[in-house]
Amino acid sequence: MLALIQVLTSGIAIGCVYGLVALSFVLIYKATETVSFMQGDLLMVGAFAAVALQVGAGWPLWLAASAAVAGMAGLGALLERTVLRRAIGQPHLVAVLLTFGLGLMLRGTVTAVPAASHDMYRLPFADAVLWLGPLVLSLSHLLVIGATVVLAALLTMFFRHTRAGLALRACSEDARVAALMGVPVAAMHTLAWALGAALAAVAGLLLAPITFVHLDMGLIALKAFPAAVLGGLFSLPGALVGGVFLGVAEALAGLMLPEGVKDVVPYALLMLALLLFPDGLANGWRRRR
Amino acid sequence: MSGVRERVATGLEAGLGAGLAVVPFLALAVAVLGADYAFGQATLVLTYAIAGLGLVIIVGQAGQITLGHGALFALGAYVEALLAVRGVPPVLSIPAAVVVAALGGMLASLPARRLGGLYFGMSTLAFALIVEEGLVRWESLTRGGAGLAVPALAWGDFSARTPGAQLAVSAIALVLALLACRRWVSGRAGRAWRAVREDEVAAAEACGIDPAAAKLSAFVIGGGLAGLAGALYAHWIGFISPDQFGLMFSFELLMLVFIGGARRLSGALWGALVIVSLPQVIALLRDALPGEWTRSAGVEAMLFGAVIVAVVLLRPQGLARR
Repeated sequence: MLALIQVLTSGIAIGCVYGLVALSFVLIYKATETVSFMQGDLLMVGAFAAVALQVGAGWPLWLAASAAVAGMAGLGALLERTVLRRAIGQPHLVAVLLTFGLGLMLRGTVTAVPAASHDMYRLPFADAVLWLGPLVLSLSHLLVIGATVVLAALLTMFFRHTRAGLALRACSEDARVAALMGVPVAAMHTLAWALGAALAAVAGLLLAPITFVHLDMGLIALKAFPAAVLGGLFSLPGALVGGVFLGVAEALAGLMLPEGVKDVVPYALLMLALLLFPDGLANGWRRRR
Repeated sequence: MSGVRERVATGLEAGLGAGLAVVPFLALAVAVLGADYAFGQATLVLTYAIAGLGLVIIVGQAGQITLGHGALFALGAYVEALLAVRGVPPVLSIPAAVVVAALGGMLASLPARRLGGLYFGMSTLAFALIVEEGLVRWESLTRGGAGLAVPALAWGDFSARTPGAQLAVSAIALVLALLACRRWVSGRAGRAWRAVREDEVAAAEACGIDPAAAKLSAFVIGGGLAGLAGALYAHWIGFISPDQFGLMFSFELLMLVFIGGARRLSGALWGALVIVSLPQVIALLRDALPGEWTRSAGVEAMLFGAVIVAVVLLRPQGLARR
């Protein structure tokens, strides 16, 4: 029972990271109809930026982390302004290749830095554990879950109560009507990419205490695609829930199924979900009721 | 009667035309690089082009996104390698590789019965990742990440050990594949694919075309071609392991058809020429750059990414004219 709770906690924690990456993907896809294959690379660059500022420049952790997230938001906005804007209105294939190429450039740039490709880094706080009677929980897992909850609340407030958030939602629903209502659609596209890149960077920072900071940490984004699709591809809360669901399913599979099956579970679930509920789990559920 | 002859003639013409187009490049490569190396590279170009033909049909003709072409290629390569090691002659093993990869394409396209666009692209991605993981984990058969050594292609007295012989085999396979594709593309199947590409609902409702069946046939043919290319590739390279056929390879193949022009069959050949020569151009470019930091592998990835971005931005329709 205790082991089950511990496995579930770690599953929820990693699921939160999947969910955040999926959220960033869906946010960008909804607002700009651009399929981004570079969220994993943005995540990795964000984590490395924080490590560089903290270990390299000696900044305190909170400052390094916020600077890294802000810097990634700036990078996202810059890329949208210069390059990604051209993919709007083109077939999906153009955006897929464009973001894949940009991701390759980001990864190549980080790889070319010798310090990045030789070592693995951890952020401080990674080893601490919390004792609740006989139950031992990793503090970093609780931190990830807590941070995700806070972030989700902040995002909800942003999308419900701020001008920019409402404008962004309007733009995602129908760009043409939003433009007629005076929403600056081009600026909203930039905002969507800035938010998407910042969210990916946050996911990278939260992943850092769980898996270290290394060059391949961006591969986690491959599991964010199933999460986004399970959530229906157009739903922000759905993406987050899909991520947590996948994290838990994966953790349980690791507990019960033979070694190696765990890594295939998200993709097998995705194929099954697409075959059984082509509109996403949330819609399939709603229709059944 | 004359109609049939004419169609065959145009098919041959396309194959020969595309083949002849490569000859000047080949001559240049032989002069600069030496015959064996140039033949080896040309063999790769032709082999990639066979897989590219499959993508032209799936992406360019039927208008579907697939992120799993590398996995179908891998299926062909592994089936061929496993059969060749056990002494099965290529007349049996290569068709088996084609059939298995075509079945893989069928399996990957199952969600397409009800889905289109990005959802479907995601399901091909999931299929590719499952295949890759399966190849790594099924160690008793595939020897996992350690990889498999593949014997030379041999049948009776003939064995394709020299680069020249390998080039000839690939060229014959490519011409046959081109002829077949040309027939399919200009026939009923091709019209159904293009109708699905342009407008799925109108195609189904107005013209009596079944979009699910059209997508399925595109994936079966595309998968079969990927399997054929994979089977030849396994022999030419002589060693296969799952990480050769990862997501990166699927994207390289997508790049291939994008650069060559996804709508025309000849685009596969042009794209293959670019994709095979690009790493070598990048290596030359990297050596030309000053400084010690350029020795890192990251610089190659960065330059490759930059080329992708530049091509997509400058020529969103691909290099070949429509």
